[in-house]
Amino acid sequence: MSSVLTASLRRDLGLVAWQIRYEQRSYWRNRGRGVFTFVFPLMFLVIFASIDKGAHISSRGGIPYDDFFVPGILAYAVIATTYVNMAIGTAILRDAGVLKRMQGTPLPRWAYVAARIGSTILIVAAITALTLGLGAVVWGVHVRGSTLPAVILTLALGTAAFTTLGIGITRFISSAESAPVIVNLTVLPLTFISNVWFPATGLPKALTDVANFFPIRPLADALQYAFDPRTTGAGLKGHDLQTLAIWTVVGIVMMVRFLRRPLGEQG
Amino acid sequence: MPTLPAMTTNHIQRRAPAVEVRDLRKSYGAVEAVKGVSFEVAPGEVFCLLGPNGAGKTTTVEILEGYRTRTGGDALVLGMDPAHGERELRERVGIVLQQCGVQADLTVAELIEMYGRYHVRSRPVDEVIELVELTEKRDVRARQLSGGQRRRLDLALALVGEPDLIFLDEPTTGFDPAARRQAWSTIRSLCDLGKTVFLTTHYMDEAQHLASRVAVMNAGQIIAIGRPDELAGRDVRPAEIRFTLPAGWSLGDLPAVPSRSRSLDGDRVLVLTTEPVLAAHRITSWALERQIELGHFSVSQPTLEDIYLELTGSSAPNQVPEEVAR
Repeated sequence: MSSVLTASLRRDLGLVAWQIRYEQRSYWRNRGRGVFTFVFPLMFLVIFASIDKGAHISSRGGIPYDDFFVPGILAYAVIATTYVNMAIGTAILRDAGVLKRMQGTPLPRWAYVAARIGSTILIVAAITALTLGLGAVVWGVHVRGSTLPAVILTLALGTAAFTTLGIGITRFISSAESAPVIVNLTVLPLTFISNVWFPATGLPKALTDVANFFPIRPLADALQYAFDPRTTGAGLKGHDLQTLAIWTVVGIVMMVRFLRRPLGEQG
Repeated sequence: MPTLPAMTTNHIQRRAPAVEVRDLRKSYGAVEAVKGVSFEVAPGEVFCLLGPNGAGKTTTVEILEGYRTRTGGDALVLGMDPAHGERELRERVGIVLQQCGVQADLTVAELIEMYGRYHVRSRPVDEVIELVELTEKRDVRARQLSGGQRRRLDLALALVGEPDLIFLDEPTTGFDPAARRQAWSTIRSLCDLGKTVFLTTHYMDEAQHLASRVAVMNAGQIIAIGRPDELAGRDVRPAEIRFTLPAGWSLGDLPAVPSRSRSLDGDRVLVLTTEPVLAAHRITSWALERQIELGHFSVSQPTLEDIYLELTGSSAPNQVPEEVAR
């Protein structure tokens, strides 16, 4: 019995691997989708770098601004790839009836979701490599060996939280047309108080509390801590990672609730 | 060895129905969309659920496909309860939904390959492409296909997993006449492959051309079920003889013929008869003897459309006296 189960599980994992390839092929062929994920972060990277050439941040002990915005924009890129892409993409797939069609096939639902998440992880890896590569070559911002595990762990937790939240939020998005509005409304305002574009110093306490409650600031802070030249040791920010972990649990619950609803009964 | 063939025949006759529905019900709040529907679909037949928009066809078929949950009654598809969402059922059922998207950036061949992989056994990609006549569009992305080509791709994706049962929900809506004929021939070729086809449509000619059995659904209920040529007693209904009488002649001048009724509307005569050959012979002989020209002479059996419109109450009642709807 257990060998039968293993064989079928092995077959399903093979299906997930195949599905990741199809998702990737779909993704890279659609130019429109690349705008949020690749064009925006890289554009901001270049704009911010040219504005603040050679600037230092006095509130952070005079560290170069480059060491702040490269991880800050990396945080934004991760959110754009996972949360923004996943929410808009899922709403489009749902409205077009693709999710319904997939539900009628023998591919298990978990396998399809796993493949879409897997494909997203590959895109996160690509945008991370591109952002950090550019950061290293152009602005000399390097990942240190000592904090590399912290960077990877932070990116992994951030990806987990924002991917699951992205799928889960689809439940509250009534149509594909309203998806970009809802998604950007939940992300953009928060980025301005979350150390993504500039150090959020001198904020009223209430706004700081808001920023610390949601997962954007913890992701940016944790990445910036690992890149901060003053950081000694592994660069792990326990409290921020804990917040990201809690949001991952919230994301998983929201995602499961969205996926459990029978598609035929929606709309 | 006379018993062996008999046993074999019995065995075939006892094959479980492909679809079995008993007193199926579905309510949305206070509104009951499906009000106790029962029918069976035999393996290998083309079963057609016919009815106007809003009759409950799609709700019924989506319950059988596992997309909706029923609120009452029993349903078995290939011996399994569609509400349980078993994988084995999805292995053996092909679904063509109304207006259902695909991953639009993949090509026809890639999509058929992808959906084929989900099944334990699947049909070779190029064979499927040929069956739905999309050979020339093989490497074209789905978003670039025309409406009719998209519909054929839908069919291809439902067929690639070698299903025993195929659900087709209004498969030719929006087709031009040539594309419909083409789709019909594809659907007929499915039957030649031994598949069971469950079709919903609101096109009469589609049901007439394809279905081995038709169930007419209206306001959440099945109001008639049978072979298209026998539906609601269509084969035993009186034939209609129509012609016009020249000026100076009246209904009373006509000879005695076996008829249910005869009526005159202006100069147009309508005779309803269960013996159309004899009646037509008497009338035409009478006219020839008197050298009367009967205009627009025709003899016709009620069409499936006549029966349907009458059953669904979509037209003014005809002059047919007897009650036919079950």
